[in-house]
Amino acid sequence: MSKGILVLAQNNSTVDYVEQACLLAMSLKVTNPNTDISIVTNDAVPDVYKHLFDKIIPIPFNDDAASVDWKIENRWKLYHATPYDQTMVLDTDMLVLQDIASWWKFLENYKLYFTSKVFTYRGEVVTSDYYRKAFTANNLPNLYSGLHYFEKSDLALEFYTWLELVMQNWELFYGMYVKENYPGRVSVDVSAAIVAKILDCDESITNKYASFPTFTHMKPYIQNWNRTPEKWQDCLGVYINRNCEIKIGNFSQSGILHYTEKDFVTPEIIERYRNYLHV
Amino acid sequence: MNKTRGVVLFARNNGRLDYVKQAVFLAKRIKEYLDLPTTVITDSFNYLQSNFDVSVFDKIIQVEYMETKNNRAFFDGSLSHKTAPFKNDMRDGVYNWSPYDETLLMDTDYIICNDLLLKCFDMQHDLMLFKESYDLADHRDHTEFEHISDYTIDFYWATVVFFRKTPENEVFFDLIRHIKQEWNHYRRLYQVESSLFRNDFAFSIAVHIMNGFAKGSFVAPLPGKHLYTTDRDVLQRLDKDSMIFLVEKKDHLGEYTMLKTEKQNVHVMNKFSLERIIDAEMKNV
Repeated sequence: MSKGILVLAQNNSTVDYVEQACLLAMSLKVTNPNTDISIVTNDAVPDVYKHLFDKIIPIPFNDDAASVDWKIENRWKLYHATPYDQTMVLDTDMLVLQDIASWWKFLENYKLYFTSKVFTYRGEVVTSDYYRKAFTANNLPNLYSGLHYFEKSDLALEFYTWLELVMQNWELFYGMYVKENYPGRVSVDVSAAIVAKILDCDESITNKYASFPTFTHMKPYIQNWNRTPEKWQDCLGVYINRNCEIKIGNFSQSGILHYTEKDFVTPEIIERYRNYLHV
Repeated sequence: MNKTRGVVLFARNNGRLDYVKQAVFLAKRIKEYLDLPTTVITDSFNYLQSNFDVSVFDKIIQVEYMETKNNRAFFDGSLSHKTAPFKNDMRDGVYNWSPYDETLLMDTDYIICNDLLLKCFDMQHDLMLFKESYDLADHRDHTEFEHISDYTIDFYWATVVFFRKTPENEVFFDLIRHIKQEWNHYRRLYQVESSLFRNDFAFSIAVHIMNGFAKGSFVAPLPGKHLYTTDRDVLQRLDKDSMIFLVEKKDHLGEYTMLKTEKQNVHVMNKFSLERIIDAEMKNV
């Protein structure tokens, strides 16, 4: 069976998501050189980075996010766009910092898998629901779509079919399932949680005891800080060595880093990866 | 071959607090509750010999008397304090000084009231410290004992340390010495606001480095819970294995709530009140 990583990248007026995806692809080539990655995008991928991708795939069924700046309306299409039998979906603002071969092995136990336990940069399990009040208030499963996996299967197809329905009619479904802390806009995480609730499958698509697959989530208010800045870089340094190993503050990073802030992507970091890979 | 086991205490007087007296007192309790020999490392050998029964110690190691610029305030309840030298800069030497294969290193203000720490010697981990801790005054901000500063690493207590003599632990204590020698560098690197050198910080940094700058398993937790009272509280009474504390009230400076512990080891940071208790006990003997 074929397997690979899939990422959806749509630039908007302020963020170059394709560049983020290219950085993600470089990080993958450093730590997992034999793992394929494909990008779903209608934006141009710079020539210098094209070879990093196994396939560059146009967004199928037209672009549902053409008129908005927060472009997540096409996420449900990834099931239909993937060229792989087994797909790991990542957000663009992530870096793969370690060999994840064992993660693939673990995921073979599942047809569909969402991580439900993420970590701070210090390796602490995130317990704060600061950004997830809607989940706790409405008893929704705590799924993170930023890293999820599916195998082409009846379960995954049914899930994604429902995800399409929920995302395209989010106000209706959120009115039914997210009455408390009602979100002002569509969210993939909330939508996926609703689908899991509808299908009553959350127990079989995540594992709260597993310490991987997961990611380090850098949103500032979940870092167990007393004084929380607007951006985590305001209080933590980022260090990257010639082997593209990254430290944040005093902590070496491993696994998958979800850096969340667009200005994490600096010319220095891109240069490190390009030098290492001779890109 | 059986491994030798024992406890090591540091007792370096500073003109305000009598750590030698505390060490003698603790050594007796160690004998009573743990039945282990105690070695004391002291810079006040003559004072110890002429004022106390030295037979409570298995071994006395003399170190040079040295002044220090490391001053700090020692409180005696919430309304009174004295500034005194904080002579805490020899702990890294315990690896070489300890005559035992398996050592429990303790602060002299750690009051032993049970035999729980004996479990260390049956455990496989070669290095154990307390990380989780519980303030007997439940209302106080505990965050300074969770991380050594807001954005940095986990806090470990150097109050009680169990270690075996292994090559890894030798590196660990060498590393603590290096951190101590370059303290100004490391305190900035780890965002420690105070320039005061603290063994808790040095041990925490060394653990973090030995773990590869990440969470890891180089050190395991000691058995039991690390209970403490700060120097804003007062140890009022000690009766065998029960203690009565006056614990400062929230938002009422100088007022206290009485609290009793039984068969619990407690880190009593108010050393003045501890010494009053020791004096009273010695008078009664």
